[in-house]
Amino acid sequence: MQKIHSKRGIDFRIRGWPGERLIELDDPDRVAVPVDKLPVAKAGLLVKPGDRVRLGSVLFADKKRPWLKFLSPGAGRVSQINYGPRRVIKELVIDLDGDEKYVDFERFSLAGLRAAGRREIVDAIVAGGLWWALRRLPFRDVPDPDVVPPQILVGLAAKEPFSPLVELVLRDDPDLLRTGIEILEKLAPKVIVYTHADNHEVLRTAGDVVNLVVDGRYPADDPATVLYRTKQSASENRSWYIDYQDLLLVAGLLTTGRLPTRRIFAVGGTRAPSRVHFRSRLGVPVSHLVDIRAIEAGSRLIAGGILRGYSLEPDGFMGIFETGLAVLPANREAEFLALFRPGFNRPTNSRAFASRLRRRELEYDCGRQGPERACISCMYCADVCPVDILPQMLYKAILAQEVEEYLAHGLLDCVRCGLCSYVCPSKIELTENFEKAKMEYARQQ
Amino acid sequence: MNWLRKFFDNQRRHFQPGGKWERWEFLFEPTEKFLFGWQQLTSGPPHVRDSLNVQRYMVFVILALLPCLFFGIYNVGYQGLLAAGRPAGLWPSILLGAGKVLPLVVISYAFGLGWEVLFSYVRRHPISEGVFVTAMLFPLTLPPTTPWWQVALGISFGVVIGKEIFGGTGRNFLNPALTGRAFLYFAYPVQMSGNAIWTAVAGSGRAVDAVSAATPLAVAASGTGPVEKALADAGYGFAKLFTGLYPASIGASSTLLCVAGAVFLVALGIASWRIIAGGAAGILATGWLLNLLAGPSAPAFWKLNPVFHLVMGGAAFGLVFMATDPVSAPDTHAARWIYGLLIGALTVMIRVLNPAFPEGIMLAILFGNVFAPLLDYMVVALRLKKRIPNV
Repeated sequence: MQKIHSKRGIDFRIRGWPGERLIELDDPDRVAVPVDKLPVAKAGLLVKPGDRVRLGSVLFADKKRPWLKFLSPGAGRVSQINYGPRRVIKELVIDLDGDEKYVDFERFSLAGLRAAGRREIVDAIVAGGLWWALRRLPFRDVPDPDVVPPQILVGLAAKEPFSPLVELVLRDDPDLLRTGIEILEKLAPKVIVYTHADNHEVLRTAGDVVNLVVDGRYPADDPATVLYRTKQSASENRSWYIDYQDLLLVAGLLTTGRLPTRRIFAVGGTRAPSRVHFRSRLGVPVSHLVDIRAIEAGSRLIAGGILRGYSLEPDGFMGIFETGLAVLPANREAEFLALFRPGFNRPTNSRAFASRLRRRELEYDCGRQGPERACISCMYCADVCPVDILPQMLYKAILAQEVEEYLAHGLLDCVRCGLCSYVCPSKIELTENFEKAKMEYARQQ
Repeated sequence: MNWLRKFFDNQRRHFQPGGKWERWEFLFEPTEKFLFGWQQLTSGPPHVRDSLNVQRYMVFVILALLPCLFFGIYNVGYQGLLAAGRPAGLWPSILLGAGKVLPLVVISYAFGLGWEVLFSYVRRHPISEGVFVTAMLFPLTLPPTTPWWQVALGISFGVVIGKEIFGGTGRNFLNPALTGRAFLYFAYPVQMSGNAIWTAVAGSGRAVDAVSAATPLAVAASGTGPVEKALADAGYGFAKLFTGLYPASIGASSTLLCVAGAVFLVALGIASWRIIAGGAAGILATGWLLNLLAGPSAPAFWKLNPVFHLVMGGAAFGLVFMATDPVSAPDTHAARWIYGLLIGALTVMIRVLNPAFPEGIMLAILFGNVFAPLLDYMVVALRLKKRIPNV
């Protein structure tokens, strides 16, 4: 088994990781598809408020790529279509009626799967509305099904706070993962299944399918980091990846012939009323996972990890890609002359606080911790970048609009891990600028 | 501290848009935040941020400089009393030294901050905290007899020409404190060089008739016999050079305190150990190379034990506090090594080979600053060559 080690990155000593307990939740009374968080240029609606839909009915499709369909994650009535700024569709809400009528999709036996060709598999995933689960690096967009990628990466690892424990998810149905990997092998000549060296249980129970072990701190387990560490030539740049929970959905779709909806969510953070794992369904309202009234005022709800996720309103819904929910304090107390205090409880990756002397977990909050200032070239960002970018130089190249230069600096290798912005003492929004430049570049492609 | 908090809360309205002092918001905000910390929240991912900010970074540099300042105050007073033939007790020395040194520090801060505030007001920028470090570094490099007006002029030149005209902290390519120091050195050679400026004699008014005692570097450059012996004969044993208790610039003579400052700053991850180590290595290697090359007819200075170069003059102070300024130093780690080596080598070469300048560290660092972008350019070009292209 191949093993790679990435030296850079950060181990977050953060308090509030969810425990190993898994709680089964009853169905919520409504679910939603948050549209604005999808990698879709423009959504063309195929339903209107009041329509009855079944589990698996098409709700909307990408206007530019009509085959990229998004299906209803439940049976019931389309109750609301919420719009965000500039009339962009924010989310489609479906009131569940409980009878769970569903749309039948093509069902494969194991032997049937093995005998099927690439075209059949692709058609089944596209028709089953799960093609969004596959993502293409470096833009993390939805790939063209007709293109055969150099490889597909599947990470059985999750180091970003707070993601579900992989072993807990895999315990459910270990064979489903194997089926999923067989499906991927139909789509690409090479499938890399990797896990983190610390995930002993995954190595033990799924060691037969794992063909790469990554070692190192966050974000060593991100597909973009793994690609950067393993790639031999530029032809691999457009590799695909898929989240392991999404792969289980695909495998479930093809083996049962109906759209699976079950998903495991991790709820963490010091302000979360209970820090556990929940089994619920796609598009669950946030208020179903946490008791909103039990959360202290001045807290922030973050879907999808504290470094890359987005903040949610209490009436929001979990996006289809997100499996982690964090609740962190967002009301910093004034601390008199904090600049001069040793800081025994201040989280930092530097050595400038006394908290470095003790190995204990600390509470993180959503404070910016300082004003924005000019870059002083301290190189903290370059010391954490997992893909050897010099973020401060990349940033300056982007500000100067030197396209050739920022591409040469590796903009498209950026993992979007957020670590450069995290460590920056000048509080410069490096990651945000990189992401904007990347999206701008993607639009021009 | 609730009363203070309330006071600030009450005053804030005057500084907000539409308030009577709205244009002075750039002064109100840093003062308030300095006292109570920053409460703004992150607006997007990453939602959490490291607790370290530039302000704390600068505070640590100033903390590391304070021992040099306190030692400088004592040493200036001590040397002044000795030269006047009076008993140099601890407290009389401190009192005399404080009287000589603190005005220079106060003038440096007043003018440095004044320019910073003026530029911030005109440009509607926030005050940058770097000026607090610059205004502390600058007077420590001066002879204690420097006239007050020259202090004001020097720090003004350093802050305005060395930094502000390029856009302020983060955009300057020279170390502002050293720029000011070099300006004084070349503009006022009478007050800034020679052997007569390093002692402010007690009771004789300011800077009028300072005593003349050859500095260690002057002794080393003019000696004919073994330099170590000439130094010892002039009263500069290794221990004395290391502790810095001799007439010299205010805060830059004590190698001991510079080493302590280096350990402090490197332990906290503030100063680049690569620059300091590279600089020390450059000095030792060049000194040793001169030892090797020295023929029988070479000047005695060539044969000096290279370790002496580290403890004489301002080499340690320059390497620890000036060369490590991250803005004017190169960014990449490899370039920082080369930059340090270059500064160390140039320091010794200017000292030994150039009769016009007794001390080389100031010019070496400024020269290093000018070379920093080129060093970065080369290192980055090599780094990018190794990347598998992704376009």
